[in-house]
Amino acid sequence: MSYVSNADLGGREEVRTITPEPENEVFHQPWEPRVLGLVLAMNAVGLWNIDMNRSARETLPNYLELSYYEIWLQALEKILRTSGALDAHAPPPRRVLHAAEVAATLARGSPCAREAVRPALFEVGQAVRTRAQHPDHHTRLPAYARGKVGTIERVHGVHVFADSNAQGLGEAPQWLYTVAFDGIELWGNAAQSAVVSIDAWEPYLLAA
Amino acid sequence: LNDFGVHLPQSTRIRVWDSTAEIRYLVIPRRPANSEHMSEAQLAGLVTRDSMIGVGLPRPVPP
Repeated sequence: MSYVSNADLGGREEVRTITPEPENEVFHQPWEPRVLGLVLAMNAVGLWNIDMNRSARETLPNYLELSYYEIWLQALEKILRTSGALDAHAPPPRRVLHAAEVAATLARGSPCAREAVRPALFEVGQAVRTRAQHPDHHTRLPAYARGKVGTIERVHGVHVFADSNAQGLGEAPQWLYTVAFDGIELWGNAAQSAVVSIDAWEPYLLAA
Repeated sequence: LNDFGVHLPQSTRIRVWDSTAEIRYLVIPRRPANSEHMSEAQLAGLVTRDSMIGVGLPRPVPP
């Protein structure tokens, strides 16, 4: 089985250039705030989590042709189908987000830090190598940073593991680190003076 | 950065944070030269979206 994320664009040269938009331009079309509202309301129902949502977006085959809120809408349509929410015998919503609760709900956020049940494997300053293989599921290890040697820059604590959560296999919390790479390690001499950091869960890393 | 109209000298060190998990980073825009006399409210007027997402510099101090 192969899993393709169409959103993993870091370092890819064929990707079109960026067209900067005017300061303070939030929406471009009247339907865009409606899609934002639809997605927020349906996320609150609790049939899927943020990582399933990202996976649904990133695997849209026409991802690169779509605008930001087109991606949101198409992924919502897809996840409504795949989650069974549209089935005749779908369970009733676990929660309903009422208009009056939106501001407070958004302000509360959804923390993903979890209690540590074992010590971290790595410490600040330690050299690590990221795993090289391409997993057959959602992951947050960018393609440009696979099989590369970097340094642990920060230990963030234990967080919900996106790879597991996206597959509906549970939160499987893991230690999360910031790992810094030399630009040369990632992209050769063209990126000579750059340093690039990613946030990486422990299963992405091996001692180097 | 060039796409955003930002052209930096070769001597500028570039530091990239790719926010791949749920950790979020707050970008502090670089304070423009000759802004020492300005109040907090005046300084806030120099801040742009791009300078808060790390792809631009704040507006220059008005003459």
